[in-house]
Amino acid sequence: MDAVLDAPASAPVSLAPTERDLVHVEGVSVLYETKGTPSWALRDVSIAIGAHDFMCAVGPSGCGKTTLLNLIAGFLQPTRGTVQLAGKTIAAPGPDRGVVFQEYALFPWLTVSANVEFGLRCQGLPAAERQRRVAEYLALVDLARAADRYPYELSGGMRQRVAFARALVNRPPLLLMDEPFAAVDAMTRAALQDELVKLWQHERFASFLITHSVDEAVYLGTKVAVMSAHPGRVERILDVPLAYPRDRNSPRYREVIKAVEDALAHHG
Amino acid sequence: MDESEVRRIEAAFTASTRQRHRRHAIRQVVLNVAGVLLFLAAWEVLPRSIPGLNLLLFPPPSGIVGALRELALSGELFLHAATSVARSLGGFAVGAVLGVSLGVVTAMVAPLRFLSDPMLHGFRAVPAIALVPLAVVWFGIGEVSKLALITWGTFFPVWINTYLGARDVSATLVRSARSLGASRSTLILRVILPAALPLIIAGLRQSLAIALVVMVAAELVGASIGLGQMIATAQQIFRIDHMFVGLLALGIIGFALDRLFVFVAHRLLPWYGRT
Repeated sequence: MDAVLDAPASAPVSLAPTERDLVHVEGVSVLYETKGTPSWALRDVSIAIGAHDFMCAVGPSGCGKTTLLNLIAGFLQPTRGTVQLAGKTIAAPGPDRGVVFQEYALFPWLTVSANVEFGLRCQGLPAAERQRRVAEYLALVDLARAADRYPYELSGGMRQRVAFARALVNRPPLLLMDEPFAAVDAMTRAALQDELVKLWQHERFASFLITHSVDEAVYLGTKVAVMSAHPGRVERILDVPLAYPRDRNSPRYREVIKAVEDALAHHG
Repeated sequence: MDESEVRRIEAAFTASTRQRHRRHAIRQVVLNVAGVLLFLAAWEVLPRSIPGLNLLLFPPPSGIVGALRELALSGELFLHAATSVARSLGGFAVGAVLGVSLGVVTAMVAPLRFLSDPMLHGFRAVPAIALVPLAVVWFGIGEVSKLALITWGTFFPVWINTYLGARDVSATLVRSARSLGASRSTLILRVILPAALPLIIAGLRQSLAIALVVMVAAELVGASIGLGQMIATAQQIFRIDHMFVGLLALGIIGFALDRLFVFVAHRLLPWYGRT
């Protein structure tokens, strides 16, 4: 079991920065106010995400996992500490970090292809290049036939695949996902999880995914960050030493699940 | 059931569904027309059934047809109507452009919002009709005065609706756009404006009706041409039937403009009303 554990069970995790790290979160705390009372969404959090990592963050609600994602996305600035992407402090959102939200967040007034094209237009790419890339990424998520439809005409699973194509078409080195499969049914979720792993292997981006499902974290991630609440902390980062595609019924898989659950129970 | 049986049942089902829809549509149109005819019949009978009522003061439809034909054939009616519509749409266009631009600006720039809020809300409370006498003193009874009044009346509903729509755009959509690399101008033009469009359209529709009201009020006070002027003149020469022709024209114009507006809005927003 010790092989699964990457960090000691005690105190906050602090990792030394390495050359390979794409994202570096160092000593980050976020303070916010609820009804006049200050409260820590995150306290002394440090994590590093390598350029080919698939990091999954699990934890109870209130553990600050969405805050952590918002910091890396640039939607939020830390009260203390630094958040860096490839050595540069993150000051604002940008196309070098794709974001996929739980509620899809597609533009309802744009067709599927226009949604995917949005980021390419922002970059000022010529029309021919845009069309080529849109077609490529729609094919990648198997939605070429839905190109001219509006989001309201699509099922939840299709919408989320459009959201993935829209985020990935910019070819960001990092993809951030905030409970991306929480709003779809179980069968669609399983299919989308497999597709995500394939996309990740094919496109070679780093991933940071938030979930409240231990199974999802272990099924997808190369690393699982176990978080606890009040104040929000990263308690442990566990390696998932399993090859893809993963077999949910294998003893090794269940062993990792157990390790993550134990870590959650211990710090919850 | 074999395959041909399945096809046969499907075809019968499709046909019967289509027929039911058609019957439903026909019934609706028949009832619409019947409603209009019933109203006209009641209007025709009622003035005659009240003893001692002067039919010149309360003309039934049959008493108006003559005036309608006369005014229509001479071309006078269309000149009045066209002038009034042009004025309304002109003022509406200026008010709409100002309303949308200021609505977006006040939603996005907080200091400007706080700076302008008291004045905008204060002025909003002043009905445009109350400004007609002042406008006549300042601008005379020409086109400038009418344009200014209609612009004033149409500006506020567009402004307030645009402001609310732009302010309440989903934070996740804005975050999406920014993480996709949207600049501030792209964010406004391609995200905030489309997201606010349903409310903007509601404001525009309200303003279109107001434009007609203010137009008539301004024309009643003084104009050489226009439906309001036609009605005011009819009063002076005691042609109640001409008044009714003017009212009828205003009703038809208001209805037609609103229908046209809804048609255009649906064309612009095929995605609206669904999620």
